[in-house]
Amino acid sequence: MEFKYKILKGIDISGLNFLSPVVRLATGEEPAKQLREIGRFIVVPIIAFLAFLWLWSVVAPKHKTKAGEVPTPAVVWDATGGIWRFHEYETQKDQAYQLTGGTRLDTLGKAKARMAELDALEARAKEQLAAAEASSKEKFDARVAPSKKAYDDAREASKDARRTRTEALKAEAAQLAGATPEQRETFLNHLRDADAAAEAEKKSLDGLKAAYADAQTVTFPETKDARRTVTVLAEERQFLVKYLDMLGDNSREAKVADAKAKAEEARSAFLNAGPDEDLYKLGSTVLKRQELLATTAASQYAKPWTLPKQIVRSLLCVFSGFLLASFIAIPIGILCGLSPTFMAATTPFVALFKPVSPLVWLPIIMIIVGGFMPDPENHWLIVLLGKVPFLGNYKIDPMFLSSAITVALCSLWATLVNTALGVGSVDKDHMNVARVLRLGFWSRLFKIVIPTALPLIFAGLRISLGVGWMVLVAAEILSTSEGIGKFVNDMYTNGSSQSFAQMFVVVFIVGFIGMALDRIMVVFQRLVSFETAGSTL
Amino acid sequence: MSTLDFPPRMSFLTLENVAIGFGPENQRVNVLEDVNLSVRENEFVAVIGFSGAGKSTLVSLLAGLERPTAGKVTMAGEEVVRPGPRRGVMFQSYSLLPWLSVAGNIELAVKQVFPGKSKAEVKEHVERYIEMVHLTPAKDKKPHELSGGMRQRVSLARTLSMQPEVLLLDEPLSALDALTRAVLQDEILQIWEQEKKTVVLITNDVDEAILMADRIIPLTMGPRATLAEAFPVTLERPRDRRTLTDNPDYQHLKTEITSYLVRLNREARAARGGSIIQMPDVAPRDFTPPSKIRGLKWKNTA
Ligand SMILES: Nc1ncnc2c1ncn2[C@@H]1O[C@H](COP(=O)(O)OP(=O)(O)OP(=O)(O)O)[C@@H](O)[C@H]1O
Ligand SMILES: [Mg+2]
Repeated sequence: MEFKYKILKGIDISGLNFLSPVVRLATGEEPAKQLREIGRFIVVPIIAFLAFLWLWSVVAPKHKTKAGEVPTPAVVWDATGGIWRFHEYETQKDQAYQLTGGTRLDTLGKAKARMAELDALEARAKEQLAAAEASSKEKFDARVAPSKKAYDDAREASKDARRTRTEALKAEAAQLAGATPEQRETFLNHLRDADAAAEAEKKSLDGLKAAYADAQTVTFPETKDARRTVTVLAEERQFLVKYLDMLGDNSREAKVADAKAKAEEARSAFLNAGPDEDLYKLGSTVLKRQELLATTAASQYAKPWTLPKQIVRSLLCVFSGFLLASFIAIPIGILCGLSPTFMAATTPFVALFKPVSPLVWLPIIMIIVGGFMPDPENHWLIVLLGKVPFLGNYKIDPMFLSSAITVALCSLWATLVNTALGVGSVDKDHMNVARVLRLGFWSRLFKIVIPTALPLIFAGLRISLGVGWMVLVAAEILSTSEGIGKFVNDMYTNGSSQSFAQMFVVVFIVGFIGMALDRIMVVFQRLVSFETAGSTL
Repeated sequence: MSTLDFPPRMSFLTLENVAIGFGPENQRVNVLEDVNLSVRENEFVAVIGFSGAGKSTLVSLLAGLERPTAGKVTMAGEEVVRPGPRRGVMFQSYSLLPWLSVAGNIELAVKQVFPGKSKAEVKEHVERYIEMVHLTPAKDKKPHELSGGMRQRVSLARTLSMQPEVLLLDEPLSALDALTRAVLQDEILQIWEQEKKTVVLITNDVDEAILMADRIIPLTMGPRATLAEAFPVTLERPRDRRTLTDNPDYQHLKTEITSYLVRLNREARAARGGSIIQMPDVAPRDFTPPSKIRGLKWKNTA
């Protein structure tokens, strides 16, 4: 029982109230009521979502774009798999490059075995595809044939009719030499009639053509599936070729061994050289080879950016910006709340800068940051951040800093205003207690003012984080700083139907992360609020 | 302490021609005007008055939380210019910090007033006062988890834990049931007697005032309220509340004070121009509804 209430409390604090009927039902509390609640808060949303998926899959294919049809949920799901496979393959290559000794040879053996397997798999998949294509071609032909025939026949007929009409009119025209104006007028009318007839024929032809095209749009799921299998296997083969290379001749170990041998060779050549040889040249070669050895030993696989890695970088960026915003906004907000004069001084800035779009801030910030870092690679800040353990792997560059600063600039206002409000709303009674106790300035600040303001500060932080996340994706698209936004931009530039589907994947990922961030902030907000009311947020 | 060596000071806490008003100067109406009060050291004074008369304002003045617009507040001969822990205030609104537990609220006061105390001493001190108001089981609860009466007791414990020379208690027991109230009345009296404190108790309960105080001073109706002539309470201490009601002196005093207050109320209304409507001296004859109505089932539509 005790345990049950702990779970319920946890659910309440995290704002996942829809789960509480499940817990209550599991413990047998008022089953009828709980089932009703589950129906309303779990089943109804799920049904709504399924309805949405259905509507999406029906409507999407109706619209054709440069990048193919608007992807359906199934296609988007497929694209998710593609993104994930790419990530997996790249990670494996990265790891493979660094393997040494027995492990490397083991892995190499396994990869070769898989390659052999793949040959058979691929052959079979291709066969299946051929079979599917053959069978579907038949079906296709059978389906298309009537409309094709109708169209072809009608076209022929129309051609013939036109020819006949033209000849008849030409013959009529030849006899008009001595005709009266009335007769000529009649001829003009005949010409008009002929045009009208041609127009009508063209219209009916267009209709038949559309029907023909429509018949052609039919897709055969079995061909589609077979083709997908072939593509996935081809992708894997491509990967395996690269992978085997990374594990074999092109592995770091092999390259290092090679470089070492060459360095040794140069060295012995230098040491054993006769008096008539160019020792200067030989000595320089030794140094050059040794240097090469050192760089080879430290080399890494140049892993491309995969979406998961880009997501992590985006998160790092948004948190950097968010922290920066908090460090600026909370102290200023406190000062505003404490001093009406300071508040008066700050108000115009808040009013003026708050509505400015991140798309205006970003270029300005990029130029300013660029001004501080004429040689970014060697700037102390970049070098320093590059050495931070986790952060260092994510290519901290001026673009990253600019995006983070833009996030901060756009998101700090909510925290600032809320903090000022919270600090300003300190209870006069509580202040009287502080006065009777003769609390000093700092005690008042930390024991009375900040605790009072904390719930509102966190409400502000929550808004800030939400704004920051939205701003960040936009900033990345504009600045092409690696991250989710960059991924979208790349996919947009790419323009294939596969990349179109991957943009849809991003919609869900961005939405999901935004939701998760918000939930986290809700938990914090509830933990600091001293009168936690059980309301859904 | 010094109180043992010297006789109690005669006018320890005083108000001299004090007036106070709120709002802009040109349209200010004084809440209190021409207030004079002199409390002896170790005296127990009860101030009694109607709601809105200015009792809490009087406490604020004594505490130094508000400065008078005219006149002077002094304590032990020195003018009171700002609040401090020598005059412990128990606020009518409890003023507990909602993010601190019961113990935390009291600890904040104790740590500030006794900076020399070690951690263990602070803890011991806090626990003693929590025990005094019978809140040990609730000591880790937050104010919003407590009942109104429990909050009032926390507030009382906090004020007592500061061990001030003067206790300014603004309706300290108003939200309590009769039993708890009696227990805490005894507690306050005991502290007052043992630790030789000076107490100003604001109350609207005549029985409580008579039971506890040396002097009862009515506050006239506002605006421009002032302290009226005091009623000295000469009843023998310790006063036993079980036998007190039978005491003719007590009965006489109570009647006197009550009728004084009723008169105050009537005068104030008359002064405001309101006529006093006399209710007809009749009682409703029969309040049982006719049988037809009684037979109906009443549905609760709310
Ligand atoms: N800060 C203030 N600003 C303006 N008016 C005030 C202020 N404080 C008190 N007053 C006014 O002073 C009068 C007396 O208020 P006070 O709180 O002292 O009454 P009280 O006797 O304590 O009443 P109660 O028994 O209901 O607590 C009221 O009319 C109130 O409106
Ligand atoms: Mg009051």
